[in-house]
Amino acid sequence: MAERTAAGDGIVVWRIAIALAIPLVWEAAWRLTGSTWISSPSLVGRRLLGWASDGLLFNIATTVEEIVTGLAIGAAGGVLCGLVLGRMPVLAGILRPIIVAFYSVPLIALAPLFIMLFGLGRMPQIVLVGIVVFFLIFFNTFAGAEAVDEELILALRLMGASRGEVFRKIIGPASVVWITGGLKVALPYALVAATTGEMLGSRGGIGFLLNDAAQQFDMTSLYAALTILMLLGILASGSAARLEHWLLRWRHAAE
Amino acid sequence: MSDLALTPGVKDMFVERGRLFFGGTLGRVSARIGILAVLLAAWQYLPGPGMRFWASDPLSIVSALVGWIVDGTLWRQLLATLTVMSTSYALGCAIGVSVGLAFGLLPRLDKVMSPFIFAAYALPKIALAPLLIILFGIGVVSKIVLVTLVVFFLVFSSTIDGIRDTDPDLVRALRLMGASRFELIRKVLIPAALPWIFTSMRIAVRYAFSNTLLAELIASNSGIGYLIAYHSGIYDAAGTYAAVLILVILSVALTEVLTRVEKAMSRWRA
Amino acid sequence: MPPNSDATMDAAPKIQLIGASRDFEARGRRVQALQPVDLSIQPAEFVALVGPSGCGKSTILNMVAGLLGPTLGRVTYDGASVTGLNRRVGYMTQKDTLLPWRTVEANIRIALELKCRPTSRTDATAKVAQMIELVGLKGFEHHYPNELSGGMRKRVALARTLIYEPETLLMDEPFAALDAQLRLVMLDQLQFLTRLRKMTVLFVTHDLGEAITLADRVVVMSARPGRIRTIRNVPIERPLDVFKARFSAAFGRLHEELWDELKDEVTKGTDL
Repeated sequence: MAERTAAGDGIVVWRIAIALAIPLVWEAAWRLTGSTWISSPSLVGRRLLGWASDGLLFNIATTVEEIVTGLAIGAAGGVLCGLVLGRMPVLAGILRPIIVAFYSVPLIALAPLFIMLFGLGRMPQIVLVGIVVFFLIFFNTFAGAEAVDEELILALRLMGASRGEVFRKIIGPASVVWITGGLKVALPYALVAATTGEMLGSRGGIGFLLNDAAQQFDMTSLYAALTILMLLGILASGSAARLEHWLLRWRHAAE
Repeated sequence: MSDLALTPGVKDMFVERGRLFFGGTLGRVSARIGILAVLLAAWQYLPGPGMRFWASDPLSIVSALVGWIVDGTLWRQLLATLTVMSTSYALGCAIGVSVGLAFGLLPRLDKVMSPFIFAAYALPKIALAPLLIILFGIGVVSKIVLVTLVVFFLVFSSTIDGIRDTDPDLVRALRLMGASRFELIRKVLIPAALPWIFTSMRIAVRYAFSNTLLAELIASNSGIGYLIAYHSGIYDAAGTYAAVLILVILSVALTEVLTRVEKAMSRWRA
Repeated sequence: MPPNSDATMDAAPKIQLIGASRDFEARGRRVQALQPVDLSIQPAEFVALVGPSGCGKSTILNMVAGLLGPTLGRVTYDGASVTGLNRRVGYMTQKDTLLPWRTVEANIRIALELKCRPTSRTDATAKVAQMIELVGLKGFEHHYPNELSGGMRKRVALARTLIYEPETLLMDEPFAALDAQLRLVMLDQLQFLTRLRKMTVLFVTHDLGEAITLADRVVVMSARPGRIRTIRNVPIERPLDVFKARFSAAFGRLHEELWDELKDEVTKGTDL
């Protein structure tokens, strides 16, 4: 992400300036108006520190755990179904409109349904994340498996590859491109799903912290929770991009 | 592919026939109807009394739905959702494009701000819902603000990308011809950014839709999202599934409309 | 010892097409791509198929490879009819079907990874290294296809095809996409490798010069629907210097003769 331009230093200086200015202006605004609505970086910082020794880790861990578990299940299911269906054109043709219909539904809106079914806790979030991720990854894998270059398959079969070997050596790796594309979108999406579920009905997680703070009109805690969420979001997008870069090094090789 | 099958046996012919039938339109449609019929029947008759509370059954769901159609609930909530969605969409696009153009034409500004924009992007906007409720209360305003923000971000960053992506050779060529800065913007940069803008506006529709629903879940007393939240809150399984059904139908309809519009637009453009 | 049809007429042909023709279904109509063709190819013979686009030369290759069956007639390999994929041939196409996610080394090695020819790791590594050296790609073992030029990718494709030592090589305009100089280099390498292993080669090209340079016999095909128009032996000593071949008198004479035949067919094709 580093942009080295001719005016490189100027830009970095500007960025640092703005990065410092925002909290300064914010702090100043608070001190001037004394309004609890605004709160201030110093207060937020102190709240975060307070949380750090009292359950912050637990809440972060809850959210992360929901995401990771749901991601694992959803991705595994999505890849499997995607690969299988991708190579079974008849079945795929039959199921296609049904799949597309499901894909067009904003699945996160089903969060209350899962809370009703699974109660308050981590389960509804895990199921929600799992389903959301499943569909994303399934669709991507499916498209990838369908789109594999037939000539590659032919070349290998002429060499003597069995069906299974073709699957393992060509269709699998070829689909990885698409799967990682799906993961890149899925990871941030999973964060949104988990957070939403927590906001609606849960006793743990960052979403819960957020909601809790809002219900008590505790602005400082609210901003603190938002900050954590933003950091998690950056982490999610960043790691997904990293993963893609590593898995697809053969694509970037020429650059 | 190899059509060198050895003398086809009976089993092969059967499989081939099956493949041909189900590959065709009639076969596919009948297969789908068959599958749906089986699933619905299973749903209706399989669950035991304990499961029944959570699973409900297709007949009850449909009757709840019909009840809503008759007493107007369906239309009210549908209207609420669509109103919020379209208003926010329009606002978000308008602001997104204008601010995006402004940023895009000042490359320095864009470069300096990009990490901050990236950070803002990373925050799930729905998390702002509680804050917005505190500021604007439960109701239409907070929903519109939220969804507008989401749409704005999308269109805004795409507009910037579009301008940034302009072929520098093109710009150079026109500069050499003697184009003024203003002419450059009008004749090169904006047309170049248009495909990006249009693409993001297409994607933004889906985001507007899903975020409207999410906002209704969290912060509202109207809309389809609210319907889902309300009925699940009172453990009314039939009502919840009915609301979900409305959601599914609405989503599919929206996607269809979008696809048609896209096709029509690309014909016009190409 | 250059094989020619007289000396080896007694040996059993490696590949035979007996009255083999091929039709295709296109938009509900039956189109004949290849008229009945009779062709006999001896072991270790290098035969070139030349003809205008659409004359069915690729179809012939596909039938020998077992990708298609003849609508009429027979295609045999080693005396037996070809049914299903013919795994005794190596097939090199115009598109180099390298696996983009594998390095050069891994791409070449893949044929040896397959269960149908179990090879120990050490053996495979040794063979791959040998092959890389042979095609002149030493030092590029760990590069990805993305990073290679077109010519280098062709060499990888060649190496990959040859590494499992197929007795027959089918090549469909493999060097068409390369520039003239590179093409000569590849032809030279091909000549060396196929003579070394005594491979039977069926080489499709639209370049008559290429055909005469390497082949023992040149088959000229007519425009669609294709049939064999003429077959000529190439009366040139093998092995020859690929880079200087064009300047020999024998080359020139044969080229002129065959070009007359080919020109007819090519113009027929373009009038359609």
